[in-house]
Amino acid sequence: MAAPSMKERQACWGARDAYWKCLDENTEDPSRCKKLRSSFESSCPQQWIKYFDKRRDYLKFKEKFEAGQFQPSKPTAQS
Amino acid sequence: MLLLVWAPKAWHRLSHLKPSALLWTPGGKARHVRCQLLSSQGPGETGRQSRPQGPGLRTRLLITALFGTGLGGAWLAARAEKEHRRQQQRTEALRQAAVGQGDFSLVDHQGQARCKADFRGQWVLMYFGFTHCPDICPDELEKLVQVVRQLEAEPGLPPVQPVFITVDPERDTVAAMARYVQDFHPRLLGLTGSAEQVAQVSRSYRVYYSAGPKDEDQDYIVDHSIAIYLLSPDGLFTDYYSRARSAEQIADSVRRHMATFRSILD
Repeated sequence: MAAPSMKERQACWGARDAYWKCLDENTEDPSRCKKLRSSFESSCPQQWIKYFDKRRDYLKFKEKFEAGQFQPSKPTAQS
Repeated sequence: MLLLVWAPKAWHRLSHLKPSALLWTPGGKARHVRCQLLSSQGPGETGRQSRPQGPGLRTRLLITALFGTGLGGAWLAARAEKEHRRQQQRTEALRQAAVGQGDFSLVDHQGQARCKADFRGQWVLMYFGFTHCPDICPDELEKLVQVVRQLEAEPGLPPVQPVFITVDPERDTVAAMARYVQDFHPRLLGLTGSAEQVAQVSRSYRVYYSAGPKDEDQDYIVDHSIAIYLLSPDGLFTDYYSRARSAEQIADSVRRHMATFRSILD
């Protein structure tokens, strides 16, 4: 399978950005963005979709972490 | 020493003290005052005694100063010599590194064999990636090419050769590289090779890479370290730029290196 050309890459990124924007507006609810999701999936290679999904998870986690929403777990009796 | 300063009054006062009390003062003084007491005939004698001490002391000081300067000069000269020798050793080590270290034998995107010596005399900005890369490689290459364009636009600066080396030799054939590099810059040179050749060049430049698991389409992503390397016209590794640096910052840094560069190979 040949690597995507610049045009194909840009189409994929555009679809990804549209999908992510929809998620941003709908509080991460994927059921509201089904159409954009399928458009995203048809524009990008499968590996890239998996990669971008993981990236999205990471970015959201990073946001939460930087906003201080994670507390260290309670120390156990041993430690 | 301080007695010298108060000399005139001191002589007068000291002359009233017993000779033994003056035994501990600096040699010359005690002798002088004793002479003064012993030969208590008039100022003429004391005058005669005191005069040789003044210039005598001055001469002594002068000689000490000259000697000190001589010593200081010798020390500085020895230090400069040592520094010079150290520089020569370092230059020699760099010369050897320039020839041997970081060498590679790869094939460019037009099928020509290339090794590091081919780039002698040119500044090189080098990036390791792969053509199936989702976003990072295109972004970094775009940034790299922006730097090249910025520097191209400045008169009087030597041209910078952009180079893209694959860490995915299995898929990135010469044709694949040719297709990829054309999207970025006409002078962007793609380099590929056999698995061993790519392993060798990645080792030379300390680039980590690891192909991920294949999916149903036999597609996979290669995890790799991300950096843009700057090589000097002598072929020596000069600087590297992480993802965090902007094109302007990199261009500034390259400009600075160009300004201070002095070849050790010619």
